[in-house]
Amino acid sequence: MKDSKKINSYLSFILGDELFAAHVNNVLNILELTKITEVPQSPEYMRGVINLRGTVLPIVDLRVKFGMSATDATINTVILVLEVNIAGEKVQIGILADEVKEVFEATEDMMQAPPHIGSKYKSEFIVSMIKMDEEFIMLLDMNMVFSIDEVKQMAGSGTQTRVDEETQLVGNL
Amino acid sequence: MDNFQKKFIEEATDLINSLEESLLQLDKTPENQELVETIFRALHSLKGSGAMFGFEAISKLTHNLETIYDFVRNKKVKITKLLLDTTLSAVDYLKLLLNKENFENQEIQKGYLALENKISKLIEDIRLNLSKTELQTTEINNTVSTYYISFRPFLHIFNNGVNPLYLVDELHTLGTCKVFSNTSKLPSLGDYEPVNCYTFWNIFLVTDKPVIDIQDVFLFVEDESDVEITKISSSNLLINNDFLKYINIFDSQVSVSVEQIIDYVDSLKFNKPKSTDRAFDEKIKLFSKENTITSVRVDAEKLDILMNLVSELVTTQARLNLVASKHQVHELTLIAENISFLTRQLRDNSFSMSLVPVDSVLIRFHRLVRDLSKEFNKEINFVSEGSETELDKNIIQSLTEPLMHILRNSIDHGIESREKRRDLGKPDHGTILFKTFYSGTHVIIEINDDGAGIDPEKIRKRAIEKKIITSENKLTEKELINLIFQPGLSTAQKITGVSGRGVGMDVVKRRISDIRGEVEVNSKLNTGTSIRIKLPLTLSIIDGLLVKINKTNFVIPLSVIDKIYPVEHHKLAGSFNNILVLNGEQVPYYYLRDEFNISSDVPDTEHVVVVRYENKRIGLAVDVVVGEYQAVLKPLGKYYTKQEMIAGATILGDGTVALVVDTNKIINKFSQTKFTNQ
Repeated sequence: MKDSKKINSYLSFILGDELFAAHVNNVLNILELTKITEVPQSPEYMRGVINLRGTVLPIVDLRVKFGMSATDATINTVILVLEVNIAGEKVQIGILADEVKEVFEATEDMMQAPPHIGSKYKSEFIVSMIKMDEEFIMLLDMNMVFSIDEVKQMAGSGTQTRVDEETQLVGNL
Repeated sequence: MDNFQKKFIEEATDLINSLEESLLQLDKTPENQELVETIFRALHSLKGSGAMFGFEAISKLTHNLETIYDFVRNKKVKITKLLLDTTLSAVDYLKLLLNKENFENQEIQKGYLALENKISKLIEDIRLNLSKTELQTTEINNTVSTYYISFRPFLHIFNNGVNPLYLVDELHTLGTCKVFSNTSKLPSLGDYEPVNCYTFWNIFLVTDKPVIDIQDVFLFVEDESDVEITKISSSNLLINNDFLKYINIFDSQVSVSVEQIIDYVDSLKFNKPKSTDRAFDEKIKLFSKENTITSVRVDAEKLDILMNLVSELVTTQARLNLVASKHQVHELTLIAENISFLTRQLRDNSFSMSLVPVDSVLIRFHRLVRDLSKEFNKEINFVSEGSETELDKNIIQSLTEPLMHILRNSIDHGIESREKRRDLGKPDHGTILFKTFYSGTHVIIEINDDGAGIDPEKIRKRAIEKKIITSENKLTEKELINLIFQPGLSTAQKITGVSGRGVGMDVVKRRISDIRGEVEVNSKLNTGTSIRIKLPLTLSIIDGLLVKINKTNFVIPLSVIDKIYPVEHHKLAGSFNNILVLNGEQVPYYYLRDEFNISSDVPDTEHVVVVRYENKRIGLAVDVVVGEYQAVLKPLGKYYTKQEMIAGATILGDGTVALVVDTNKIINKFSQTKFTNQ
C-alpha cells in the first residue's frame, strides 16, 4: 500500500454491526446484488461467481470469513469489486457488503494501532483503527485478507464435506 | 526512432524466418530457382533495412551472403552443403544480432567474426573459380537490348527516405541511358508541398544485363511507385538518329504511351523484320498497384481483447433476444434478429482470427531435425503432412516445447545409427513423419518414426528399479510403454546433451493436459514409435449440453456424452450401489445433487446423462436437460483451486453464470473412490 501515502481516501462499508473501510485504490466498482451462481464444493465463505461484464468474478462473503453469520440479501446489500495483489498478481474479486457508507479522507493522526488482545478478528487483516465522529472504523488490508495462504487455511478449517476431505488427500499426494 | 526499430525487428524476424524456411527447402530441392530468388530477396531487404535502422552488423553479413546468392541465382555457382550450412549459421547470428545487447557479448562477436571470415572465403573461392569461366560467358551475353522504363514515384515517396535520383543513377551503371524528367505535374508555387515528389521519369536504357537486374533497382520502391519496364527492341536504339530525334518529344513534357513508342520503333525500317509480329514485345508490367497488403500484423494482446469483447457481445445479444421475445414488439424483434445474425458472423470471424496453421512452428522443427541429425550423424527425413491444419494460437504456443522434446527423443533414441539400420534391413534414411489432421472437434498430431521403438521389458526393469511399479504388477505392453510419461523414468543408457535426464516425457504429458489435450504412445520394437496428441480445436469454446440442478446451470461437454435417459427419482434414491440398468446395461452413476451438496425440492423425474471416457461409461444424474449450448469457457479464477469437478464457467444469455463440468476428472475420481469402496 505504497500509494496510500499519496491518496488518503477510503471507502467505508458495513458488515453486520461494524464499520469497515478499504483504501479506494483497492475498490474498482460497486454493483447491485445480482444472482450469484453457487460453485459446489467450495468453502462456505465463497458465495459463488457472478458475471461481471463477461468475466467470471468470484464473490466472497467477508462476514463468514470474519466469523459472522452469512450475509442476507437486503435492498442495501452490494457487491464491492476489489482489485487485490496476490503473490505479485493483480486479481479481481467481489465481496458482499451489507451497506456502503461513504468515501472519506483520513490522515495519519486519525489512525490508531489495532488492539492486539481481545479482538474478534484476526488483527493481521486490520491495518489500523480510524476514529471518525466518536466511531471506530476498521481499516482492512485487502491484500492480506485475500492472500492465498489465508484462503487455504480457511478451506481446511473443517467446514467441508467428506468429498472435500478426499480432494485434499489427493492434493497432498 | 525506437518505434521504427521495433517495426524493423518485427519485419526482420519475418524475413529471417522465411529465409530459414527457404534454405531448409532448398536443402531438399537444390535446383529450385524460385527458392533462390526468395532467399536473395530476403537477404536484399534485410541488408537495406538493416543499414537504414542502424543494424550495421546485419547489413554487413547479409551483404556478403547476397553476393553469394547473386552468383547462385545467375547459375554461376551451385548450391552446396557447405554453403547451406554457412548460411544457416548466419541465420542464427542474424537472429542474435536483432537484439542489440548481443553486440556487446564477446563470444557472439568472436563467432560473428569467424563466420564473416568463412563467408568472405567462400566468396573468394567462387570468384577464383569464376574468373576462369567468366570470359566466355560475357561474350555469349553480348547482345544488347533497349528498354523503356516509366518510373512514376507516388507523391509521398520522400516520406520513406527514398531519393528517386539515386535509382536513376543506379540505372546508369547498367548501361547507356537517356533520361527524360517530366515535371508537368508540378503545381503552382502556392500549392507546392516540398515534402511531395511531383516529378516522374521516362528512361531509355540500353544494356546487356537481363531484365531482372533492372527490376532489382526498383526493388525497394515497388510499394511507393508505378514502375513499368518494357523491352522495345533487341538492338541498341540509342545509336539510331531517327529514334533519338523521336524521343526528344519527351523533352516537351508530353506524355507518350508505351504503345506509341513501340509503334514508332516498328515503323523504323531498320528494326523491321522481327518486331512487326509483336511477339517479342514482352511487356513486363512489373510492380503494379495490385501489390496491396494482404495481411496485417496485430498484437496478440489486442486479439485477446477482441475475443473477450466478442464473447461479451454474444452474451449481451442473447439477452437482447430474451427481452425482445418477452415484449413482442415487431420492430424490436427485427432488430434483435439482425443483431443476432451479425453477432454470429462476427463471432465466427474473430474466432478464426486466433487460429494459426501448424505450419508456423514447423520451420523450427525442420531446423531442429537438421541440426540434430548432423550432431548424431544420422540421416533423417522430416516429412510433414497436413501442416495447413489450424489451431488456436495459444495451443500452438504451449505445444512447441513438448513437441520439440518428442522430436529430440525420436532422433536421439528412436532412429538408429546407420550401421544398425543396415543390419536390420532398413533404409539408411530414418524418417520422422509429422502428421496433423482434424478429427471431429479435435485436432490430432502424430509424430511417427521408423526407429528402434520402445522396449517394454526395458521399461519394466527400469520402472521396478525406480520403484514406480513392483515386480508383481501385471501390466500390458501398452501400459508399460505409457509408463514413459511417469516422472523419473528414462531408459536411455547414456545421458546426452539432448535427452535422457529423466525429466521430459512427464513434463510433456503435463503440458499437454494443461491445454486439455491427451497424449498416447504406441510403439513396436525395431519398427518404430508413434506419439499421438489429441487436442481441442480451441481453448475458449466448447459445445456443451446445458443441464440444471435446482437453480444452478451446468454445462457438460457434448463430445463425451453418450446418451440421455429420463429416470424417476425413486429409482435413483432407492438404489444403494449407485448402479442403474439402462437399455439392459449396468451403468454406475453419480448423483450430482449429493456430490454438489444441493438439497432442495427434488423433481419427480430426473435425467441421467451417460458420459464416456476411455472405456468407462458413467451416468451423471441431473434435474433437467435444457438443451445444447455453445459455451465460451472462462476460468473460475485463483480462488477455486479445489473445484476438481468444475473446469470453468460460462455466461448464459440471461447474464447468469453456468458451471462447466469436467467429466474426465469426475470419472477418474469416481473410479478411484466408489469402486474401491465396494
